[in-house]
Amino acid sequence: MTASAPTGTPAIAVEGLWQVFGNDAKTRLKDAQGRTGSAPDAAEALRDDGLIPAVQDASFEVKEGELFVIMGLSGSGKSTMIRCISRLVEPTAGSVRIDGEDILSANAKRLIELRREKLGMVFQHFGLFPHMTVADNVAFPLKMLGKSKSERRARALEVIEMVGLTGREDAYPRELSGGQKQRVGIARSLAANPDIWFLDEPFSALDPLIRRQLQDEFLKIQSTLHKTIVFITHDISEALKLADRIAIMRDGKIVQIGTPAQIVLNPVDDYVREFSRDVAKGKHACLDSVIETSDELPEMPDDPKLRIDMTLDEALASCMSCYQHVPVWDREGKMVGFVHPSALAAALQVDPA
Amino acid sequence: MSDVSLPAPSVMDRLTPGTKAALLTLLVGALCLALESATEFLPVWPEAWTLPVTEWIGVSLEWLFDIIRPAMRLISAALEYPMVWVNWLLVNTPWPLIIGATVALGWYAGGLSLALMSGVGLGFVLASGYWVEGMNTLALVFVSVPLALTLGLLIGIWSNESARARPWIEATLDLMQTVPTFAYLTPLLLLFGFGPVVGLIASAIYAAPPMARNTLLGLQRVEAEVKEAGVMSGATRLQQLVQVEIPAAATQIMIGVNQALMAALSMVIIAAVIGGFDDIGWEVLLTMRQANFGQSLLAGLVIVVFAIIIDRISARMATSRERFDVRISWVILAVAIATSVLAWAALPAPGDMAVLAPTVEAVDGALTSFTRSAGATLDSIKNNAMFYGLLPLRIGLDGAVLPFTWGFSWTANMSYALFAVAGALGIAVAMTGRMAFGMCLPIIAIIVETGVSDLPWPFVLVGLGAVAWVAGGWKLTRLVVILMLLIAISGLWPRAMLSLYLCGAAVIACAVLGGLLGLLSAVSNPAWAVIRPVCDMLQTIPLFVFLIPVLMFFQIGEFSAFLAIIAYAIVPMIRYTRHGLVTTPPEMLESAVSSGATEWQIMREVRAPYAAPTILLGLNQTILYAFAMLVIAALIGTTGLGQSIYIALGAGDVGLGISAGAAMAILALIADRIVQGFAEERRRALGL
Ligand SMILES: Nc1ncnc2c1ncn2[C@@H]1O[C@H](COP(=O)(O)OP(=O)(O)OP(=O)(O)O)[C@@H](O)[C@H]1O
Ligand SMILES: [Mg+2]
Repeated sequence: MTASAPTGTPAIAVEGLWQVFGNDAKTRLKDAQGRTGSAPDAAEALRDDGLIPAVQDASFEVKEGELFVIMGLSGSGKSTMIRCISRLVEPTAGSVRIDGEDILSANAKRLIELRREKLGMVFQHFGLFPHMTVADNVAFPLKMLGKSKSERRARALEVIEMVGLTGREDAYPRELSGGQKQRVGIARSLAANPDIWFLDEPFSALDPLIRRQLQDEFLKIQSTLHKTIVFITHDISEALKLADRIAIMRDGKIVQIGTPAQIVLNPVDDYVREFSRDVAKGKHACLDSVIETSDELPEMPDDPKLRIDMTLDEALASCMSCYQHVPVWDREGKMVGFVHPSALAAALQVDPA
Repeated sequence: MSDVSLPAPSVMDRLTPGTKAALLTLLVGALCLALESATEFLPVWPEAWTLPVTEWIGVSLEWLFDIIRPAMRLISAALEYPMVWVNWLLVNTPWPLIIGATVALGWYAGGLSLALMSGVGLGFVLASGYWVEGMNTLALVFVSVPLALTLGLLIGIWSNESARARPWIEATLDLMQTVPTFAYLTPLLLLFGFGPVVGLIASAIYAAPPMARNTLLGLQRVEAEVKEAGVMSGATRLQQLVQVEIPAAATQIMIGVNQALMAALSMVIIAAVIGGFDDIGWEVLLTMRQANFGQSLLAGLVIVVFAIIIDRISARMATSRERFDVRISWVILAVAIATSVLAWAALPAPGDMAVLAPTVEAVDGALTSFTRSAGATLDSIKNNAMFYGLLPLRIGLDGAVLPFTWGFSWTANMSYALFAVAGALGIAVAMTGRMAFGMCLPIIAIIVETGVSDLPWPFVLVGLGAVAWVAGGWKLTRLVVILMLLIAISGLWPRAMLSLYLCGAAVIACAVLGGLLGLLSAVSNPAWAVIRPVCDMLQTIPLFVFLIPVLMFFQIGEFSAFLAIIAYAIVPMIRYTRHGLVTTPPEMLESAVSSGATEWQIMREVRAPYAAPTILLGLNQTILYAFAMLVIAALIGTTGLGQSIYIALGAGDVGLGISAGAAMAILALIADRIVQGFAEERRRALGL
């Protein structure tokens, strides 16, 4: 089934997903939906009833090889979202497809198969087995796959080296620092070489230096392995650095999904704007987010040779001395639109909010 | 009145639940007293209202037993093999080897201190001449514990796996631990026949619940993400359990092993009352009956030594990860083997050891002369406590105040005077705003005047129901009233009241004394340094051993039982009181200090209220301990349910044994639920 999935099938497709915590959640959710009609109202009604709608009516797709970041404040439902997708908790309503396969109707045996072969997860609080050494922790998924002892050890050492923990393979989790534990968690999730990789704040316990190193390492790994990744973070600069697309969550709802530039330049509301407030937008947004097109070209006396994939900062630096519209070219030298330097400057303004 | 939008609160609405409950109880009490002479059925539960429940239970159980007896006898025959085998092994293994192995284990688990303790302890056992009896006891423990552990582990896992079964399993475990130990023995005796196998099975049953509880607790406490990491690795449920969850819960499970070991030892010794097996518990019982106290003290000490060694080594292995150099253990073992092989012929047989015989005689002599010389003092302590404390509580001032003890006899006018004074005082207190407390004074007066065992049953029923309502609402009231009625209908009411009285007296004494000691331990570290090892010791000693010293000084009787219960049940009160008082969150203390509170103000205003739920839990434990001891204390002369259970054991009367045991469990259960209810309410009030 997975092999025959037609190309273009999203790796993960989530539709109308709800996760409501509390007794009797399924019937009460149906009831609330019937009474109110819209998802936010239903969530409100459930909340008034003392239930916790941790994920409300979420729908999105993650393409194969895409790095999808989920951001949001503490308690906004990020961890719950990936628990639903991996079916660690049973979603209350909605559907989740992985490579086209409806995993909410998968039986126990199929789920085990999927988890052994296809899914990997890094846990927010590491979830290391306290009674196993680092190497045994990392090798555990391989053990479940039925790999031989020597094979397990070899592969474990390989991934342990990848996360920079060589030498600590025989330590116990209690003997490690928070950052080291986190790296063991990352190594363990990579051991069985999963296609789909869930990471729940995987770099949160690291100091900034190591964090940057690991982010770079992570991008490098990704450029060779091309895994489908769902990555949770609190840190907007991390999100902007890594993401192909970002989903912003608030109180269980996805309020915006977009590329880093879209999030930075066109936040849908104040909540999203607040996230990107202190971000140097010029470094993250490219010209394509601000260009205009029109059949009727304005007068363009200067051509500072702006290219569509330039960041706003670079573009602004090239047209410092221009006061009228300038053309924007693509890589092949075809004009794709134009932009007014003042629009560039305006886009870079830090939001007043 | 009707012009305000909110209805003005009526008088009833303004009363706190406590006040309402006290008011109702007081009214019923007054009514009962007033009608006491006029009605037949108020003071004592009428004979005509009882059903022969005891006989029914007896008949139906015996019918059931007749059916399953062959199967049970098969089990007991099967268990006989490992028991005899282990017994043979322990008795015939050269003693240097056993001591060496224990010392080696002690070293491995806890280093020099535990190794020394094991060596000295077992040396003492050897010197006491009770080696063989000791090994007989240990054989029972070593066969019953694996059974208990397996059973407990399986039950624990089952209740972890099935959310549906969990409440039922937990209720059963509660019951297994509240049903008094002796009550197990009668049906087991009938089922499995006379002999040590009964002790073995009883101790397996008794030791399984702590293992099951700790297993469940451990499994539930495994971090959610650790479990999820197992799931995401693609482990099957069995793999998750065996490879992730059980190993991750190992520490808690090991604590269960420790508790199961202690419970098994305690029960094996209690089961010695069945007799017929030459073990150390039997030795204690025998020497106690012969009033041979030096000897029974020695045998009791042997039990204590076993308990301490087993407890300390297994607790250390459970809670500490540190292990000592195993090579030294091997060396110790090698030396022990070498000694056994080379010097076997020269070594004296363990049973012939009588190194301590002179000491025992000396102790016996000293005891005799002490009790002779101090006899008058001891007697006067006992008599004073009985005549002025216990007896009035039991049969009331109206019965206990007699010319030859108090110097005068109680008259009806004195009762009226007492009620009038209590009533006036109560009103005075109520006026200061403490309504419920004010109303409790006349209630207490009623109890003291009438005596717990003579209290009119409607008063007890309503009083308990009212307290239950304050503690846990209508649901608890219903439970309490139904259970108490059950006791009444089965004709066990008078005996239950006697048990309630002795237990209540002991619990009150424990609460006061233990509370004070706990307070002292909380404020003074030197005091805690002394009290703590005593508490540790008291908690390690099997129930049975408590009887020896009290019997030595105060002979058979209620006062001895009272003291034994206190000695055993006071420990949780001390521990929890101290723990509650010293664990006040630092930020609360800091804010009190910065408000300029003195040490005592902090204690009264901050620490004590914050500690209240913890102290209540301690009280709860104390009550349960007291009930457990109450039954054992029946051996040295108490009346009430404990006595019935003991008699039933002797007579093989399974109906009486079970129903009296159930009545005892009911009392314990009611006390437990009510106190837990109060603790819960306090916790909620503090936002914990
Ligand atoms: N098992 C559960 N039972 C009840 N409520 C839960 C459960 N798990 C999560 N919640 C609630 O769901 C909401 C979302 O929690 P979640 O852990 O998904 O947040 P998060 O976005 O990951 O936050 P953080 O950044 O702090 O990790 C919270 O209000 C939380 O209290
Ligand atoms: Mg989270």
